[in-house]
Amino acid sequence: MKEAKEKKNPEISVSITISTWGAFAVYVITGLFLIFGFHVVRNKYSVDLISDPTLTLRLLWIIEFPIVVIIYSLFRRNPEKCSYFRAVGRSLVGLIAGALINALGAVSLGAPIGMQSLSKTIHWSFLMSVFTVVPATAVLGASWIDWHRIFASLKPIGIIEHMLLVPAYGAIIGGWFGAWPMPLDWERPWQEWPICVCYGAIGGYIGGQMVSLLTLLSEHKNLKLA
Amino acid sequence: METYLKNKKLTALGFLLIHAIAILIFTRGFLLTRTELPFHSTCSDVSLSPCLASPRSNHDSSSGQSNQTQPKCWTKPVVDRVIIIVLDALRIDFVAPSAFFPEPKPWMDKLTILQTLAFANDSSAKIFKAFADPPTTSLQRLKGLTTGGLPTFIDIGNSFGAPAIVEDNFINQLVLNGKRLVMMGDDTWTQLFPNQFQKSYPFPSFNVKDLDTVDNGCIEHLFPTLFKDDWDVLIAHFLGVDHAGHIFGVDSSPMINKLEQYNSVLEKVINILESQAGPGGLHENTMLIVMGDHGQTLNGDHGGGTAEEVETTMFAMSTKKHTTLVPPEFDTSSCKQNKDGKQMCISYIEQLDFAATLSALLGISFPFGSIGHVNPELYALGSSSWNLDKSDLGNFGTQSAANEWMKHYVDVLCVNAWQVKRYIDVYSNSSVVGFSSDDMSRISDLYSAAEQNWSNSVKHILMDRNGDDGSTDISALLKEQIAEYLNFFSSVVELARSKWTEFNLNLMITGFGILVISLILQFLAVFHGDKSYAVGSWLSTGAAFTLFIVTIRACSFLSNSYILEEGKVANFLLATTGLIKLRYSVMRKTMRKEAFMFLAMVFVLRVSIDIGLTKQAATSQFMSSSPSWMLGIAPDHPALTYAIEIAPILSVVILICVLYVAIAKAPNEGVWKYVTVGSMVSYFFIALLWASESKIFGLDQLLQVTGGRNRIPQTVYVIGLVQLCLLASARMFCTEKDKNWAIRTVALVSACSSPIILLSGKQGSMLALVYLVAGYCIMRLEGVERRTKSDGQSKFSKLNPLCVVQWSLLSICMFFASGHWCAFDGLRYGAAFVGFDEFVLIRQAILLTIETFGFSIILSVFGLPLLIPFHSQTPQAHGEKRHQLFQMYMLFGVISATTVTATILCVTIQRRHLMVWGLFAPKFVFDVVDLILTDLLICLASAYYL
Repeated sequence: MKEAKEKKNPEISVSITISTWGAFAVYVITGLFLIFGFHVVRNKYSVDLISDPTLTLRLLWIIEFPIVVIIYSLFRRNPEKCSYFRAVGRSLVGLIAGALINALGAVSLGAPIGMQSLSKTIHWSFLMSVFTVVPATAVLGASWIDWHRIFASLKPIGIIEHMLLVPAYGAIIGGWFGAWPMPLDWERPWQEWPICVCYGAIGGYIGGQMVSLLTLLSEHKNLKLA
Repeated sequence: METYLKNKKLTALGFLLIHAIAILIFTRGFLLTRTELPFHSTCSDVSLSPCLASPRSNHDSSSGQSNQTQPKCWTKPVVDRVIIIVLDALRIDFVAPSAFFPEPKPWMDKLTILQTLAFANDSSAKIFKAFADPPTTSLQRLKGLTTGGLPTFIDIGNSFGAPAIVEDNFINQLVLNGKRLVMMGDDTWTQLFPNQFQKSYPFPSFNVKDLDTVDNGCIEHLFPTLFKDDWDVLIAHFLGVDHAGHIFGVDSSPMINKLEQYNSVLEKVINILESQAGPGGLHENTMLIVMGDHGQTLNGDHGGGTAEEVETTMFAMSTKKHTTLVPPEFDTSSCKQNKDGKQMCISYIEQLDFAATLSALLGISFPFGSIGHVNPELYALGSSSWNLDKSDLGNFGTQSAANEWMKHYVDVLCVNAWQVKRYIDVYSNSSVVGFSSDDMSRISDLYSAAEQNWSNSVKHILMDRNGDDGSTDISALLKEQIAEYLNFFSSVVELARSKWTEFNLNLMITGFGILVISLILQFLAVFHGDKSYAVGSWLSTGAAFTLFIVTIRACSFLSNSYILEEGKVANFLLATTGLIKLRYSVMRKTMRKEAFMFLAMVFVLRVSIDIGLTKQAATSQFMSSSPSWMLGIAPDHPALTYAIEIAPILSVVILICVLYVAIAKAPNEGVWKYVTVGSMVSYFFIALLWASESKIFGLDQLLQVTGGRNRIPQTVYVIGLVQLCLLASARMFCTEKDKNWAIRTVALVSACSSPIILLSGKQGSMLALVYLVAGYCIMRLEGVERRTKSDGQSKFSKLNPLCVVQWSLLSICMFFASGHWCAFDGLRYGAAFVGFDEFVLIRQAILLTIETFGFSIILSVFGLPLLIPFHSQTPQAHGEKRHQLFQMYMLFGVISATTVTATILCVTIQRRHLMVWGLFAPKFVFDVVDLILTDLLICLASAYYL
């Protein structure tokens, strides 16, 4: 939190641009909060993803959501027209809408639809929404053209759009691969829905962050050389 | 151009042939088959054997045996009653002392009563290590034990569906010889032998989680029965150890509790026997056999051929307290010393020999198909009964007692050898795939050598009761004769094992290699066959993604888990392609409705697959899935019943409307149109049939009017056949080839669909509707990633392979969604009797095939042309489309062939896996049938469309 506040002033002064190092800082903060979330779950509630997936997922997204909103709202489009609080407000809407989309996607891919897994699915899709949709709503708002350009046509412009796109796709692809161990007959508790999908998504998210950092760094170098 | 297309048709035929040859070769190596012979042994058969003039007749009278009243069959009975206690999945280390194993484990030395008896001085009991031939599943093992043969995965017999044993067997021989049987425990016995038991107390065996029902039922009936004299052979089959192994594993407290329970039960049984063993007692001359049908691994699995699974055990005890010592040449026992320095020996027996040995002990004719021999040690345990008198009478001493025993034994072996030779000869003559002539002549040589020796010398010794010759001389001769017989038996068994239980790896690899080569050829045909029409380049995203999906699906077959949940995996991949298409459609801002509709259909299929999986889990021994979802409505809620009754009929009505729209749009096309109208009539009949079967419409009288429930289905079949004939003749005699082929496809698909829907039952129409909508979406979404709104109507474009993959995945999902799975209990045998009451093998098999593969292959192959969007009607475009269609068929074929190649690779790798017979082999059979049928239909379809 402290770091974020320290960043606040210089970042706002340069409007919506962000350096590669800024991106790195954002990734580190989100990553640290993810770790913090796991820490809280383990030490405060002494459960983990395997023993109580519902509670863990709920705590994780509740901890991760504010920090993502706070950070990404700094980089919102048209900061003159759109106030900071409006960005926070619309990311709340984005959270719910994104959760709905993620849940529908998961169910169409074969997530269980029983009553006993309903709460797990809900909290999993909230977490996925925090990874995928929430940052984009905070930054882009309801600008369909930008959404379409970034997420459908895969043509991000600038570092911040790159930061929206790559980790989000990383989380989705990671989750997709995370689903593969589920049918195996190893009879491990982590094979249950949504535990390994969740691990996959988190892994994919972090992997996406790394990939985006690396591409940003190489582009940066190229720019410098040019 | 025409010759070019003709060549292409030949290509399809060529691939069919290559695949058929590859699969045939592989199957010869992998799926071992054996023909069941319908012949039975009878008592009088023995007159044909060279052992006819055996000396026993005068032997009997001279020794004044009491059992002359009992008619002699093949051999003289040596025990009166037999108690067989089968403990399912009894590992060798449950019974044998822990000194035989590297280190003692908690589950060892629990059946102490057996060890005490077997290792007591002057005991008439013995522990055997028993070898069970794979497949080590209870049903196959019981079959092997009773027939004395080697049951394979597919025993070709005339039992369609029912597991009852057709072959001659030990139980059957007991009944023929007037023995009375009592059975208690595992109900597999009553399935195998439905009429043979005089009394039976079967208990359901399939609930693996239930450790006690079968055992308690057994115990409840076992002790009272032991005091009765209304039986000759008692069979008690306990299941607790098997179930405890499946659920908890071997190293668990339930397993140890079970073993301790068995120990007390056996102790009680033996006490009863010994209390009644005195002269004139109920169990004066009874043999108790405690045996396992197969072993189990430490996880409790069995079915395969690992040492843990095939090594089981047998304990045998005679209530007569005397045992003949088997000459050391034929003694197989291995001995160890326990902590106190006491000598403990366990002998060796093959389960193959069980039927022959018991038949010899009870004096009944050997089962016709038995290839085992009478085990000397087990036979010696029982044969004490007459030696007792002799050694007392003449006091010949041990040497002469041993000679006396060998005389009996060699005589029994003579009959035994003759019977085995007879079976081998008959089998070789009457079976489809008999033994090779080399093997046969080798066996015959061995047999005739033994026979020669027998008639020349040994026979005379046996005839001549005055033992003037030196006893050592006789003994040597007898031993030589026995050794010759045993040599004959062992080579017969070796030959039979190589034929019936060992995979031929060379054939398997050859078959696999041919398949891989054909796969490469097919890929070349698809990607490089004709540049101008071929499926994009290797680098296009569509092709790459296609390759990825096909590869990941093929790789998934390497694990048994993904084979079990194949439907879910296919659905997952189908949904993935749907999501990709959705992304493209959003990107191109077109066809979004179709993309969402497609995902919705995938969802419907997924629910249907879930329902199918729960059905599968109910019968499968490998799955323990619980329904992952529950409707909040009680199953007998009236609204739900109405919905279930009405929905199928409504779907049929919608299908009729769709067909009407399809032909109303098209210009008058003559015969194609009439055929489609015929399908509409068929659909109407189907709706009528279902309406009259359900209660809510009050159309019960309709069935009487139309003449029974079989009339309508038969009419539908006839209409379907007439339609197909019309289409074939129209194809042959219709000269104008540039007709609109959408209508042709509609005609063919609709003609095929009506019987399929009828056979699939009420879900059929709804699934057909889902299939139709999903197929429509795939067609609309074809090429969505290249097309934008503006150039949607532009000229003909290259084929997008992704849509063919989607179509193929969709057809796989349809297979699982229609309630099938890749196992023989996944077949819906009821469908074979829609419209017919009596059973005719070929007709019913055809119906069953149509039902099983109707949606997944017949409709998908014939419906493939519907995927090509029809934009322009110019003759040139038509020619291009024909090439494209051929390309699509090749691609579809490649996808099926890749799947089958992966399955075959998996089967080859996992051939020693414990689930090989339960899971991989059925999957292999289904996939192979799938591939051949697909190839065949592709040939037909290219003949029809191109």
